[in-house]
Amino acid sequence: MKVAYFPGCVAQESGKELDMATRAVAKVLDLELVEFPNFSCCGSGFIDETNEALNVAINARNLAIAEKAGIQTIMTVCSTCQGMLTHAKKVLAKDKIIKKRTDAALGKIGMKYSGTATPKHMLQLVVEDLGGAAKLKPLVKRPLKGLKVGAFYGCHLIRPHEIMEFDDPEYPHSFEDVIRALGAEPVMYRGRVMCCGFPIQFVKPLSGEKLAGRQILDAKRNGADAMATSCPLCHLSLDTYQKESGKAVGASLDMPVFHFPQLLGLAFGMDAKELGLPRHLVDTKSALEKLGAVKVPA
Amino acid sequence: MNHSHDVLVVGAGLAGQRAALEALKAGADVGVISKLHPMRSHSVSAQGGINAALDPTDSVKEHVFDTIKGSDYLADQDGVEILCKEAGPAVIEMENFGTIFNRSADGSLDRRAFGGAAKARTIYAADRTGLALLQALYEELTREKRIKVYEEWDALELVVREKKVQGLIGFERKTGKIEGFPAKAVIIATGPAGRIYGKTTNSHSSSGDGCAIAYRAGAYLKDMEFVQFHPTALLHTCILMTEAARGEGGILKNNKGERFMERYAPNYKDLASRDVVSRSMLTEIKEGRGFPDGSIHLELMHLGREKVETKLEEIVQIARTFAGIDPVTEPIPVLPAQHYIMGGVSTDNKTATNIAGLYSAGEAACVSVHGANRLGANSLLDTIVFGKIAGAQSGEYAKKSTASDLNQADVDLITKRVHTLWDRKEGESIVQIRNEMQSTMDDRVGPFRMPDDLLGALARITELKGRFKNCFVKDKSTVYNMNLIDAIELGNMLDLAEVIIVGAIARTESRGAHVRMDYPNRDDEKWLKHTLALSTKTGPSLSYQPVTITEYPPKARSY
Amino acid sequence: MVEVKLEVFRGADHEGKPHYEKFTLDLPETTPILTALLKVRTDIDPSLTMRYSCRQAICGSCAMKVNGKSRLVCSTLVGPEIKTYGKIRIDPPGNMPILRDLVTDFSPFWERYLKVDPYLLEDPEHPNPKGQVTKMSPEQVDQFKETPRCIACGACYSGCPSVGEDPEYLGPMALAKAYRFVVDPRDHAYHRRLLKLQDKGLWLCLRCSLCIEACPKEVRPADRITDLKRLANQEIGPKESGSRHSAMFVTNIEDGGLLNEFKLARQSLGFFGIFGQIGKGFAMMRHGKSFMAHPIIHDLDSLRAIYVELNKKEDLKHRERPAGKGVKGEAPT
Repeated sequence: MKVAYFPGCVAQESGKELDMATRAVAKVLDLELVEFPNFSCCGSGFIDETNEALNVAINARNLAIAEKAGIQTIMTVCSTCQGMLTHAKKVLAKDKIIKKRTDAALGKIGMKYSGTATPKHMLQLVVEDLGGAAKLKPLVKRPLKGLKVGAFYGCHLIRPHEIMEFDDPEYPHSFEDVIRALGAEPVMYRGRVMCCGFPIQFVKPLSGEKLAGRQILDAKRNGADAMATSCPLCHLSLDTYQKESGKAVGASLDMPVFHFPQLLGLAFGMDAKELGLPRHLVDTKSALEKLGAVKVPA
Repeated sequence: MNHSHDVLVVGAGLAGQRAALEALKAGADVGVISKLHPMRSHSVSAQGGINAALDPTDSVKEHVFDTIKGSDYLADQDGVEILCKEAGPAVIEMENFGTIFNRSADGSLDRRAFGGAAKARTIYAADRTGLALLQALYEELTREKRIKVYEEWDALELVVREKKVQGLIGFERKTGKIEGFPAKAVIIATGPAGRIYGKTTNSHSSSGDGCAIAYRAGAYLKDMEFVQFHPTALLHTCILMTEAARGEGGILKNNKGERFMERYAPNYKDLASRDVVSRSMLTEIKEGRGFPDGSIHLELMHLGREKVETKLEEIVQIARTFAGIDPVTEPIPVLPAQHYIMGGVSTDNKTATNIAGLYSAGEAACVSVHGANRLGANSLLDTIVFGKIAGAQSGEYAKKSTASDLNQADVDLITKRVHTLWDRKEGESIVQIRNEMQSTMDDRVGPFRMPDDLLGALARITELKGRFKNCFVKDKSTVYNMNLIDAIELGNMLDLAEVIIVGAIARTESRGAHVRMDYPNRDDEKWLKHTLALSTKTGPSLSYQPVTITEYPPKARSY
Repeated sequence: MVEVKLEVFRGADHEGKPHYEKFTLDLPETTPILTALLKVRTDIDPSLTMRYSCRQAICGSCAMKVNGKSRLVCSTLVGPEIKTYGKIRIDPPGNMPILRDLVTDFSPFWERYLKVDPYLLEDPEHPNPKGQVTKMSPEQVDQFKETPRCIACGACYSGCPSVGEDPEYLGPMALAKAYRFVVDPRDHAYHRRLLKLQDKGLWLCLRCSLCIEACPKEVRPADRITDLKRLANQEIGPKESGSRHSAMFVTNIEDGGLLNEFKLARQSLGFFGIFGQIGKGFAMMRHGKSFMAHPIIHDLDSLRAIYVELNKKEDLKHRERPAGKGVKGEAPT
């Protein structure tokens, strides 16, 4: 399947391991990633809070870029990018004033938004278009047996339900279905659909850290050996800021956090380095040891 | 004593809050006691709209006439004149308070047609007008920080000495404490008592507590036998489907697809007065033209999605959620259900009762402006107009009145009574008594009344009252004890049920919502009068009061 | 019919140890959960206590947690819950002290509501005309969006993760109400309200949209909060850390088309804030996580052209302000 690959900002910068893992597993999944070096940031929700029309227009530009290349599906690997692109698409379909202003702005740069390209998160692609668990099972070379994984969706992937139209807004199962297909045991806990605190990490850091800490604790208390997230911003909160989050909730968390494609890659038999695991601030060793085979270089 | 006020308002719905604001304006120190948070009051369930003759092509006079005709000529016409004259200013004042009404294209308040109204004069907020009005009043109450609200306190009994009110004894749900509320003036604004019936549009909390405590303290209850059955309550749940549905063009159909109201009310058709429509529907069903589930169909499909989903937003959601029906594409199954009681605490045109310092307004009161049948959208109006009058009157009264002499002995008496009930170790089932009361009222004191049914109902209620004296409250906790509240509310409801039935037995005519199968005609010669009920040791004692006629001698009433 | 397995929270802080009690009832799938709970009260245990009144999702009494989700129990049906979860766990609403069983103390909820001055504020020099109606154009009426439908049930507040962590955050209901007054043409405190919100209480919304899912009346508080953020940034300017962060993000992207992580952190946290992050910075670098990279997109000019078209300051003030706003004076403090 041919898709326009939309990595988002963090996957190209501090979260590069997400990009590495995505490229590695794309090959196995028969996903042809078409790259567009002119894709811009999706605004991350922050631009929307200051200037709605601007936010919609820059995302319309992103969608128009894919449309121009004749590609129907834009694959995101970030819950927030997915949320923002989908939000823009919905606003353009409903709000005549914003549509007019967007068309005018795009017209000035010789671009046109026609609404034919659809953003889809990689998780969504796997379960909706690539055959889900049935497709994954035969690709599993190293079943993740013995590993208890708490999925972490990232709010923007599943809410608002009316906009995102993917899975259940408060009791989803797609990620857990994938985890099971890979041989691991999914852990159910309320925190998996809650907020990681990222939006306020630079605004009121302590509150952001508390939120991250709570969700990790919840996963831990329900037996998770590791967490896996579909959003690199959540990953920043849960992994990069895990030490501070633990302090904020008064607990030592020691919870490895994987990116969604890294989990796939591990099950496909890839090694830690290839998947960028050494880049994580929280050592994934404990989880990998549960799987037996993998030794992580220092 | 704590909790002492000049004016104490019982009930924090539209009438209560409006009264409180006005009493404050009159210079009184005001307290409001409510068993629910003010925003949970039953007022929020009102959907359709509030009447006022604001349009230049309409007039107060026409509104007066429609109301009197709607009342089947039992309303006191001078009271109705006040209601309709004050309507315009009242609605405008509510807009000034911040109510978000629907607007016409030119920015003024929009109007819709409503039952029994010759002209469209119902000002509305989608189909959540009650909520919209209460929000605005509550915002004013919030702004006005000087009014003390006793939230989640039940009014157990009034304290009256020598026909003068001294205050009341209250119960705090949070702690189980029973305490005295000395007051120079008390306003009863506790709204409906529909939960006397099983099939009612009313909230679970609608137990008529204020009417009951006023009655037990010696106030007259007036015209209690006049109970309104709203034509279009959702099948099974009896959730209200606003009259506005018909006001916007909705139509009732029988199983033959016939718009049968054309037969019963050739002019007003589906917008005839509520008693006429309810009886027509029940007659259709009785004669075999109802649907298999026992309902009549309310059709909105022909109105188009846009209109239905914006102007009738709330009932669309109700139908979808509670009946799995989409009114945009399917008919709504409806059936008449108890909705409103025209009767209540008897007041004059200035909301004063026969007890000095005791006032009443809103559904709990009976001026009477609604007579034997209330027009839709006149109740919201009633609450605001007479709520304001009650506040002003009670405030003035309190200025001249002596202080309350409510004392610890008063509190102790009621505390003992409550604990006798509460501490009992075994006894009759509250749930069972309540179920039996409700089915008795549903089956025997409905829109069509038979003398044997009424007598049987009275015997039943009497028996239930006897059993109630020995009822058992299992929950002994002092924190938020809803089991005890169930018992207290049941006691109030049984008292009111008795008054309704006794009045219905005595009134040997049919008028408005009260229809006697053995006396099917209106009898102005014998019965152009109000029923007054006074509590005695042997039950309600009835007397009568003439109806005030100013402009419109009774005529035949047809729609 | 379906077998309804209820697990209901019992107890409170001072009345015995909190625990869940199980009840099983056979009911039609379309039965509201409230009906099931009331059946427990009438048929099994009258000591189970809860708030309820209208049973038709208009009084707002019965907000609780249903299988962890904040909902009104009168308008949530048993069938879908049993189908998804196999049982129905009922907890009291969250972010409030528990009084007993499913009854909580709503004071923190109402206190936040009071903080937004939830009543019309008029300019004493130019008050709204009394005794006559202030006209409202269809555009002005539309601006309220669905905020007039709010029944103050607290379901949004109950499940809000930010309210749970920070007493300074006003929460979804209070902010949706604030929005309702900010856009009301009869209110003359547009600037003052936004100034107060911009100062604190607004920017801790996470946009997690749980409130949108919880609300029984489709008020969509998170969307109205985002509207308030925009209006506040435009009217007051980015004067508070959250608003500054958003505003800086806008210019940050204009620079290179992709986020300049280090620059954003530096601008948000300030010089001293960054100082405190030095340890973190080194940890990241040790793991190979560079945040200094600043990739620039191809065709950056086309992105910048969009900015030129849609991000002009004067442009925003005129176009984004609600109809009829900002022309009257301010009400006194």
